[in-house]
Amino acid sequence: MATEANVLSVEGYTLDYVTRAGPIRALDSVDLRIARGEVVGLVGESGSGKTSLAWAIMRALASNAVELAGSLKLSGQDLRQLGPGAVRAIRGRRIGMIFQDPSASLNPTMTLGAQITEALVAHMGLRTKAAREAGKQLFAKVGLSDPAAIMRRYPHEASGGEKQRVVIATAFACRPELILFDEPTTALDVITARQILDLLRDLQAETAVASLYISHDLAVVSRIAQRVAVIHRGRIVDEGSVPNVFTAPSDSYTRALLDAVPKPERRLVSSTVTMSEKRLVEVRGLTVRYGRPQFFGKSLGTAGARDVSFDLAPGEILGIVGESGSGKSTLARALTGLAPFTGTLLVGGREIASIADMDSAYRRTVQIVFQHPDASLNPRQRIGDILARPFALYGRAGTQPIRSAVRDMLEAVQLPPDYVDRFPHQLSGGEKQRVAIARAFAAGPALVICDEVTSSLDVSVQAAVIDLLVELRRETGTAYLFISHDINLVRQIAHRIIVMHRGELVEAISADDLAARGPSHPYTARLIAAVPTLLAA
Amino acid sequence: MSASYLARRLLAMVYTLLVVSIIVFGVTQILPADAATVIMGENATPEQLAALRDRLGLNDLGVVQYLRWLSGVLTGEFGASMRTGQPVLPTILEALSRSLTLAALSIALMLVVALPLGILAATKRGGPVDVLFGLVSYVGVSLPEFVTATLVILLLADWLQLLPATGYVPLTDNLWVGLRHLALPVLTISIILIAHVSRMVRSEMVDALHSDYVRAARLKGLSENRVVYVHALRNALLPTITIVALDVGYVLGGIIVVEEIFAIPGLGRQLIVSIQARDLPMIQAGAVVLASTYAVMNLVADFGYALLDKRIQYG
Amino acid sequence: MAEVLRRLVRTPQGAIGLAIIALVLIAVLFGPWLAPRDPFAISPLQRYRPPGPVNFLGTDHLGRDLLSRVLHGASATVAMAIIATLAGTLAGSLIGTGSAYLGGRVDELMMRTVDAVMAIPSLLMSLLVVSMLGRSATNAVIAIAIAFTPGMARISRSVALAVRKQDYVSAAIARGEGAGFVILREMLPNALAPIIVEMTIRFAFSVMLFSTLSFLGLGAQPPTPEWGLMVSEARRFMHLSSWMILWPCISIALVAVGFNLLGDGLRDALNPRT
Repeated sequence: MATEANVLSVEGYTLDYVTRAGPIRALDSVDLRIARGEVVGLVGESGSGKTSLAWAIMRALASNAVELAGSLKLSGQDLRQLGPGAVRAIRGRRIGMIFQDPSASLNPTMTLGAQITEALVAHMGLRTKAAREAGKQLFAKVGLSDPAAIMRRYPHEASGGEKQRVVIATAFACRPELILFDEPTTALDVITARQILDLLRDLQAETAVASLYISHDLAVVSRIAQRVAVIHRGRIVDEGSVPNVFTAPSDSYTRALLDAVPKPERRLVSSTVTMSEKRLVEVRGLTVRYGRPQFFGKSLGTAGARDVSFDLAPGEILGIVGESGSGKSTLARALTGLAPFTGTLLVGGREIASIADMDSAYRRTVQIVFQHPDASLNPRQRIGDILARPFALYGRAGTQPIRSAVRDMLEAVQLPPDYVDRFPHQLSGGEKQRVAIARAFAAGPALVICDEVTSSLDVSVQAAVIDLLVELRRETGTAYLFISHDINLVRQIAHRIIVMHRGELVEAISADDLAARGPSHPYTARLIAAVPTLLAA
Repeated sequence: MSASYLARRLLAMVYTLLVVSIIVFGVTQILPADAATVIMGENATPEQLAALRDRLGLNDLGVVQYLRWLSGVLTGEFGASMRTGQPVLPTILEALSRSLTLAALSIALMLVVALPLGILAATKRGGPVDVLFGLVSYVGVSLPEFVTATLVILLLADWLQLLPATGYVPLTDNLWVGLRHLALPVLTISIILIAHVSRMVRSEMVDALHSDYVRAARLKGLSENRVVYVHALRNALLPTITIVALDVGYVLGGIIVVEEIFAIPGLGRQLIVSIQARDLPMIQAGAVVLASTYAVMNLVADFGYALLDKRIQYG
Repeated sequence: MAEVLRRLVRTPQGAIGLAIIALVLIAVLFGPWLAPRDPFAISPLQRYRPPGPVNFLGTDHLGRDLLSRVLHGASATVAMAIIATLAGTLAGSLIGTGSAYLGGRVDELMMRTVDAVMAIPSLLMSLLVVSMLGRSATNAVIAIAIAFTPGMARISRSVALAVRKQDYVSAAIARGEGAGFVILREMLPNALAPIIVEMTIRFAFSVMLFSTLSFLGLGAQPPTPEWGLMVSEARRFMHLSSWMILWPCISIALVAVGFNLLGDGLRDALNPRT
């Protein structure tokens, strides 16, 4: 087949980054081909090199990058041979790029209209007035209501979904031959992400632009791409049509990756927990308000969570699902005394009227693990000190010297004992999360609140951490309040699920019932419909 | 920007001026164990001291003295100079106008030089121009005003004999000669301002040029000129405005030394003379006027910033 | 500590800054012993000498050896400036972190007051205080400490607030740790670094301010060989000898540059993530 038929042709491409510690191989003999009208997914976790490939194609590599071998061709033209002027001519005009975070890729001090107009003026040779008209029409085409108004708005005055549509409109405006999509839906809410994904499918089908869709999310890729390449540590380990690769992967890494994707059908815990009379947690009418009265101004009162009621049995896993702003994290903060609340809270039969009632016994019983591993461990304390603290505080080591209790804890979370002397920045994200989990379990709690604990982690790391949580529960009988925006993950791990939307609890249902009968609340239905599911394994 | 924000900001400024007046008055009239001795010196007779205390009302309670003074100030009555007997306010205002001329010229020169310099250093980051700029500006921000003034005088007045070292001729009398006499003091202040502001501009530009949105603009295929001067510059200038406003305050402080060295009869020099002569009403008025000018400049800068930065919702 | 030093010398700013300040501190501590001659010894026949084999830096209008005067001046200028900065930082940090911890209206009122105090330029504030307390080096130190306090209060407050927002502080509170533990063990170690960096840079400003006050006759008094005072005395004789005025100027500039560099270097060295 003549290479000109392929819009993008990457052959044997090898890339190193030169660092103080020596050269790091980012891409190793990468081969990739995208034909006109085709969408090829590039799937990999962080550090796999997938983003480096995008930079390489756009000729925007960092200054310490060294291209060692291989070619990058756009419709037969060798990109590596181009000078700066030629590269500038290609960017935007023949290759477009759509980034992950629209807030970061739009200039905060320019109107949205100006940003699409300048692209049209630069590449399509239009005069400003005509470009503005064309921009307006493109805004309408990507589904923005009231395009004229949006043209005049600044980025901070638009929602995430609206901004991403603007970015998409700009990329498609110049009718390029190839568009690189770098995780365009990752920063968006589930439902908005689905809408954007559908929009991309439609646009791509209509314009027949060759597309490279980079993502860590296999389910999303399976929905939009025809072919997929799996990249691991700079090498393409698997490649082929989406059905083939995702149902019959040839490589073990791909298999592990597919396994790690949360599937609601694959339950990790037994289905039910007997709801004994002795509830562990009872919540009635819990309300949390944000904002405080200012000196000269008015008080801001946005309800963080309104009138929430639920129960939790000992040893039960209750999943809390919602998008950002739903109030799920606020709930966690209320239960751990980080936010003042009104309403009834009973834990282990004891009434907790306010933060003042949360004494040492309460703290021992209720522990929390946060989302961001970087922020939840004090960067200036060693791991050993961080883990020793709960033992010292709650006196849980018993007759054991604290040091050996710490080592036992590290073992329980599958970390090497010599980590006691390390600092957090020397650990990976997954390892830090394990330390945070160990810290929570060191208190011997009856309830551990997991607030989006895997959302910042790679898919395979996430699966390992989830397995750890399941294992720890099996050993200790701890209950979990598992908070996440990923409904598939929650359906895998939880016994019962509650769904939150804009601060209100809209649905409470057991995982079994959800699978058997489906959701009762329309919002839950929309959530489930919006999440792309992988092809049947 | 809403009316309530405006109101709140003005209220804050009134509070600021109040605190400033309390501090100035407190330090000059209340703090010294006996202001009369401070004014007249150690050699005054007890009768002279008692007479002075009566005249100035120093025997009353501190708060009473303050309120008396404040009510005077609010009606524009700052009292009379103890040294010359002339009413204080007109002298102060005339001195202020000269200082403001000096400040305005310095800031104008600074804007013309510092902005392009900072942008240049940012766009040529890491290169020889940038390194040289870094070294020179580093030294520039590390020199006290009197050192800079001394070096400027040494170089331009003594060695090269280009410009006069001291003396003042009002611009309204003779523009050219007046400017020649102002040249060195303006240069002194400008040098330090340029060092500060150009470093800030460079730092902001470097941040802007490394930002994600500039990268996205480059990948849109826009020309480098457009990326630098339309995309990056807008975002770099905003924080720079705050710094320029802060620097006005700095100028007002540093101007004291510069006026003293170059014998410019501005507010700074007036303050030094008054301090040396223990002229209490003059000191109080001068300090309050100087600090108030700074507070007003801050307010103007805040408003300017609020108007320009679309991102911040001032409700 | 050794770790910090090692990281410090890895950057050019850190290495050069450390070297300069080390030299300066040697001059401060051992200046009087290192000085070859008596800085106060008047020698009418040796006036206005340029640098030479006898007087390495030359002599001033009274024939005093400039090198000895400069070395003695190190403690007069630098030590005083350091004390003033330490005092201002201590006071400012207490006010700032206290305000951040208390929060609410108290915090806002305190910060508005701090802003109001900062409306008076540092030099003016120092001038007022010194002119009222009396001209001396000690009073100049007090004046500078007072002038610095509001600025340091603002900075330590913003640092404290930023640290307070981190999840590890929330985790400690959720654990039920007392206020003392949270502030001292969780917040302070992370808040200390930016404050130390800012304070180091303020040393530079303090040296500049102290020498300015002495220049104006409101700080150190003659015959102290304080550098600002030396510049002021030398002004009258600039046409007779440029050296008298240059050496103290260079000394002041060197110290200020050194502290600025050291502060920049510390900023990187104290960052636990790099």
